[in-house]
Amino acid sequence: MNAIEVENLHKVYRSNSSENVALDGVSFQVAQGTIFGLLGPNGAGKTTLVKILTTITPPTSGRAMVMGCDVVRNPVDVRRRIAVVLQQTAVDSLLTVQDNLLIYAYLHHVPRHAAWKKMQAVVEEFELGDKLGKTVYDLSIGTKRRVQVAKIFMVDSPVIFMDEATTGMDPFMRRRVMDRIIAESRSGKTVLLTTQVLSEAEQLCDTILIIDRGRILASGTLEDLRRLSEQMFRVSLTFAHIDDDLIKRLRALQPVEFTTSGKSVEMLFRGTEASLLGELADIARTVPITQFEIHGADLEEIFMALVKDAS
Amino acid sequence: MTGIAGVIYRDWRQRITNVGFVFWDLFVPVAYLILFGTGFDRALARSFVVDGRELEYTAYLLPGVIAMTAFSVAMNTAWGFFMDKDSGIFYEMLTYPITRRQLLIGKVCFNVCLSLIGALLSISVGVLMLNVPVRWEYLPVTALAIVVTTAGWFFLLSIFAIRLHRMDSFNTVTSAAYIFLMFLSSMFYPLTDLPAWFQWTARVNPMTWQVDMLRFGLLGTGAPTVFFLESVAFAVFTLVCLALAVRALDAAA
Repeated sequence: MNAIEVENLHKVYRSNSSENVALDGVSFQVAQGTIFGLLGPNGAGKTTLVKILTTITPPTSGRAMVMGCDVVRNPVDVRRRIAVVLQQTAVDSLLTVQDNLLIYAYLHHVPRHAAWKKMQAVVEEFELGDKLGKTVYDLSIGTKRRVQVAKIFMVDSPVIFMDEATTGMDPFMRRRVMDRIIAESRSGKTVLLTTQVLSEAEQLCDTILIIDRGRILASGTLEDLRRLSEQMFRVSLTFAHIDDDLIKRLRALQPVEFTTSGKSVEMLFRGTEASLLGELADIARTVPITQFEIHGADLEEIFMALVKDAS
Repeated sequence: MTGIAGVIYRDWRQRITNVGFVFWDLFVPVAYLILFGTGFDRALARSFVVDGRELEYTAYLLPGVIAMTAFSVAMNTAWGFFMDKDSGIFYEMLTYPITRRQLLIGKVCFNVCLSLIGALLSISVGVLMLNVPVRWEYLPVTALAIVVTTAGWFFLLSIFAIRLHRMDSFNTVTSAAYIFLMFLSSMFYPLTDLPAWFQWTARVNPMTWQVDMLRFGLLGTGAPTVFFLESVAFAVFTLVCLALAVRALDAAA
């Protein structure tokens, strides 16, 4: 069974003078127990999609199911199965950290005793012990974010939504949250996350969906995306010396991206490596290459290429 | 813990962190009763005849002060939506496993208790300090009226708090509404000697219904038929506002 099923989802925001299509026929599935990454530039429709799947807003048309429950027809059933970290900081500023954690649990129908017990573990994991009695208003933005993320681990929901959840966190806490996400997924929970940190998605996600302007650009595993982006690869070269003629010859190879720094050149290519290697060997006969590296494109490069192509 | 109980617990924890709220909710109406009531009573040096009964002005004002408590509690609670929006928790709460109706009812439950405490405080001051002749046997009727009217005002004001994006817009709307609702009603003066347009406007004003209900319960003024009709009208007003507030929450994002 899929944890999330989305079918031809449309969302149009209408005001008196304008109409904004946030989602334009989006369809996908997320398998149970996997980590699903939703990527896209600002305004792509990621947050709208999360808002629909978490029942904050209804779709204009189309269908979305979470753990077999329809987000429009059975919103409370969906809410019983999800825990959500929204993009904006969401904490009760006037309350203490302890109240924030407990109230979140109570509002998710966790019995009082179980909530207190769970809180001890969460507080330890997120290093909130010394802040438990402090009013959230007085905490730093990073700590507020930590409290917000810690809250979702007060409940045992089969599906977790994280909309740019690690924004504002220090690298250590970000790593800890990422490890926790992986652990949750291994225990059978499904995680849908959106992030602007593409390396994070690369490390975490089993499947990735890239959207832009409300439409799907690509989806699949990282390998699928590499294939989709027409076999992109990056070449790093360091020459014995560099001149205008060399740069002209390298640019003639038609890289997607070209940067130079001192005697080093970085190029991003589309196509097959074999054909390029022959051409580089020709160049090396006239200008010696002291260092040569070739590797597959990372997610950021694939993402940029796909979004660029779409626009 | 049920969803509604969770919302009540949250509101309780929030209120006790801010003594200012409690001051405005509970003590300002009492101060109104003592200061304005006594001042007006002494300055005009006359009593009112309402439905054939002679009443001191402070007695006449007491139900109005309780109505004021209910409205001000409802206003502060509705204003709380802006604090929730500011802290980002407003949208997160929409993902909690409770219905929109439960969220609103949970919020109103705690505040109804606050209204009842405020009313009890006003009644105690009225009886002990100002010798208001309260009908104790009708106290449950008065309490029921306070519950329904606090809920009604809260649901009405929530519609604005949820729909409006700016806190200053909400403050402007509610302050203006408060002035018109209070002064175009039977809160401060009997309607009988007022111009016809004033009387007609006051009769369709829910604040008049509320004050009349409370006056009937506390002092025994007004005909039972009018009390019954105004109670039904306010109950309908409350249900309509609840439905509209739920719709506003659904459309909030």
